[in-house]
Amino acid sequence: MTARKVMLLGEIGVGKSSIVQRLVFDKFEATYKPTIGVDVYRYDVPKSDVRDGITLIVWDTDGNFGDTIFRHVYMKEASAAVIVSDAARPQTLSHAARLADGFAEAMPGRPVALVVNKIDLLSDPQLLDVPEEFSSRSRKIYHTSAKTGANIHSVFHDCADIILRRSI
Amino acid sequence: MAERGIFGLVWFDGDGIVTGRYGRLVDYVAIGEPVSNSVFALIGIDQLVLKQRGERGVLLELPNVSIVIAAGATPRVNLTILWISEQDKFLMLVGRTASQSDLEVELSRQTRARLMAEAEVVAKSNELARVNAGLEQANGDLEQYASIISHDLKAPMRALRYLVEDIEMEVADPKPEAVQAKFDALKAQTRRMADMLTALLDYSSVTSKRLVAEAVDTRALADAVIASMPTRTGMKFSMAGDWPILETLRAPLDLVVRNLVDNAIKHHDRESGAITLTGSLTASTGGDFFQIAVEDDGPGIPADAHDAVLMPFRRLLAARNLEGQGMGLALVRRTVERLGGTISIMSSAPSARGTTVCVLWPTGLWDDRS
Repeated sequence: MTARKVMLLGEIGVGKSSIVQRLVFDKFEATYKPTIGVDVYRYDVPKSDVRDGITLIVWDTDGNFGDTIFRHVYMKEASAAVIVSDAARPQTLSHAARLADGFAEAMPGRPVALVVNKIDLLSDPQLLDVPEEFSSRSRKIYHTSAKTGANIHSVFHDCADIILRRSI
Repeated sequence: MAERGIFGLVWFDGDGIVTGRYGRLVDYVAIGEPVSNSVFALIGIDQLVLKQRGERGVLLELPNVSIVIAAGATPRVNLTILWISEQDKFLMLVGRTASQSDLEVELSRQTRARLMAEAEVVAKSNELARVNAGLEQANGDLEQYASIISHDLKAPMRALRYLVEDIEMEVADPKPEAVQAKFDALKAQTRRMADMLTALLDYSSVTSKRLVAEAVDTRALADAVIASMPTRTGMKFSMAGDWPILETLRAPLDLVVRNLVDNAIKHHDRESGAITLTGSLTASTGGDFFQIAVEDDGPGIPADAHDAVLMPFRRLLAARNLEGQGMGLALVRRTVERLGGTISIMSSAPSARGTTVCVLWPTGLWDDRS
């Protein structure tokens, strides 16, 4: 099966590891365990009527890297990026927007998914204060909850579709 | 996952097929399969490595990598790949990372805790602003509602009063005494309700009027108010203190002085008495104010009723039979507080007679005496 590398980026504590744990093992741990370096996961996107099967190798990175991640060996041969922010910390959305721009510059033509995680913490997701730099790009924004599992698979399945469609 | 040694070696050929391994750290690597099948962190990168076949030195170095599989994570390792020309193979060195991770984990925990705390402060501040905005909106809606209701009820109340008068005229004189008494009571009640609606409309419209500051001779304004009052014989007025010309809002100031004087007259329990208006400019840390004190020698207001008489439609028991709606001081309070001023009541009743109602009228925004 085709395998492609997807980077999971975002500020420390936004829930990157929880997202990939929910994606791969369908579990959620409330206890925070910071990622040091990188954790690499394998996720098989199932074949469907509109999509061939594909394996995504998800690189769950240390949030402390910041913008330096784009100069790191970890980025080699990445096909896409899922960039995560925290609905309860609006400033992480601005940081995610910067990471998305950085990824687009470092890896042109590769898809970027912007994710607002922990949406379950908001009484009304419509009240989320989205900074202009986050929403102004023509990138799809996903509201997810690793805790409930909401939209987690959509993010990666859409990524897989774009990778296959563009033959990246 | 259990400890599996501190290093391991994996050999793979020019096609990336694993030909051998050594060490418990890499016992999960399948021999005879592409190296990236087991070490899937190499997927994608393996082609870059294979292209460097025959080159000297380190071909790839991946630090701090943990491969997470269903049973748990492999130990965190540094991966280093070299070309061994003597064996015509690639060699991957797998070494456990140094034990600095505990410190790094703790640092990351503390960083996250700080970021979370900062975010919480921002979120609470935003929530407070949102609640305040909601309250302002709700207050505005309530004021508008009170205004609409009181306005719209005035027309049917007026019609009711006219109907009573029409019926009274159509009943031939002389009317029985009991019937006339009921007509009088009915008219009095409808008039009272109409007056209450007017008072409510005035009260709710305090915040909705847009006014422009102008030069106001406060002494002339107070004199005009006193002159317009239906005074009783024996009620004496006097003016004291300073009454400057202020750049201020005329209509609200007139409303305040008029209601203070009217209240002092209305609630006086004797045919003769004295009412003194004292003006003075004051300054405090809260700003500059024009103080208006209206002092009477009436029955006074007990201390436990000072707050109540400033509420809409609230009057002392002794004043229940007097004309009026109990809105005078409430209107004064609402007006001055909306403009940043205050109202206070000083009275020692029932041990002593007399009341002084003191208003601090803000001058800072409009005062242009220079």
